[in-house]
Amino acid sequence: MSEKVLLIDDEQDFLEVMSERMKNRDIDVTTASSAKDALSLVANESYDAIILDLQMPEMDGLQTLEKLKAINPDLQVILLTGHATVEKGVQAMKLGALDVIEKPADIQVLTEKIKKAHARKIILVEKETEAKIRSILSSKAW
Amino acid sequence: MNDQHDDADTLGLHFFGSMTASISHELKNALAIINENGGLLGDLAMLMEKGRPLEPERLKTLSGNIRRQVQRADDIIRRLNRFAHSAQEPAATSDVREIFEFTIALAARLATMKGVTMTIAPGPPVQFETRLFQLENLLWLCLKHLFVLTEGNQTVEFAVADAGAEVLIGLRFGEGLPVEEIGARVMREGQSLLTVFQAELQVDASLLQLKIPKKRSF
Repeated sequence: MSEKVLLIDDEQDFLEVMSERMKNRDIDVTTASSAKDALSLVANESYDAIILDLQMPEMDGLQTLEKLKAINPDLQVILLTGHATVEKGVQAMKLGALDVIEKPADIQVLTEKIKKAHARKIILVEKETEAKIRSILSSKAW
Repeated sequence: MNDQHDDADTLGLHFFGSMTASISHELKNALAIINENGGLLGDLAMLMEKGRPLEPERLKTLSGNIRRQVQRADDIIRRLNRFAHSAQEPAATSDVREIFEFTIALAARLATMKGVTMTIAPGPPVQFETRLFQLENLLWLCLKHLFVLTEGNQTVEFAVADAGAEVLIGLRFGEGLPVEEIGARVMREGQSLLTVFQAELQVDASLLQLKIPKKRSF
């Protein structure tokens, strides 16, 4: 099963080439060039991983991360950054980012992180399903 | 006066740090695109080995993408180089409009991030003697506080006029900005620079104006 990824970056050239490389690796990728577009996509679609640029116009990566997590706390977000300070990296992890990767990124490393995000999402979905089943079992008088 | 020069130097160091951090970030973005285009060439070569045909047009597009980003990176490096040299140049007679243009180019990325559009009012060249780096720094301070206080979709127009013994530098902000507050912050943080320039800062509605005497000690 291919991973479903949302790639968010304000650099159109980067989105085009990176999404083509991901597709070559059988990753099902959707792109967004603004935080606003990304938030509306996430509100309506489910993704295994979100690759988010840390610095974007209008709303920066950390603000976007916060809003994404508010929509769905289980989202697996990987931050891509031109130059991360330790402070920003720590802040991102505190806000629930799965990882922070510096640009230019190694596609191998990024693909592995996406697979890790996918695996984590499966575990979370399984746990959620298990909890739902438990709740149903305990609420019914069998 | 020496203390003011020391404080102005510290302020200059902060300015230099902010600009080089922004420039290095911009450079990384160009490198990331070059990296992915190079990587895609490798991907396509591998797919071709497996039998997938490769159109020459595809290669031309990728090569064009790489050239464009190399040009972009080269522009960024030129700007960085000019900026670095401006920090070590002694006072010289310069056209204020050219300094505006350069400061705008330096701050362009940060302005885009904050949704601010910067323009220069038309007019004849205004020459005056200044240390380039210090004037860039003073203009940056005004922009920095604008970027902190704006909520996006704002404009700022730089203007300059020769008023005989003084040069008048104006920054006209778009509607809805707390210009008084921007002025107060520039006064507070940039006191040492204003003293070095012997400049007077005035706020009038949407205009922040710097009155700088042409004859000053450096």
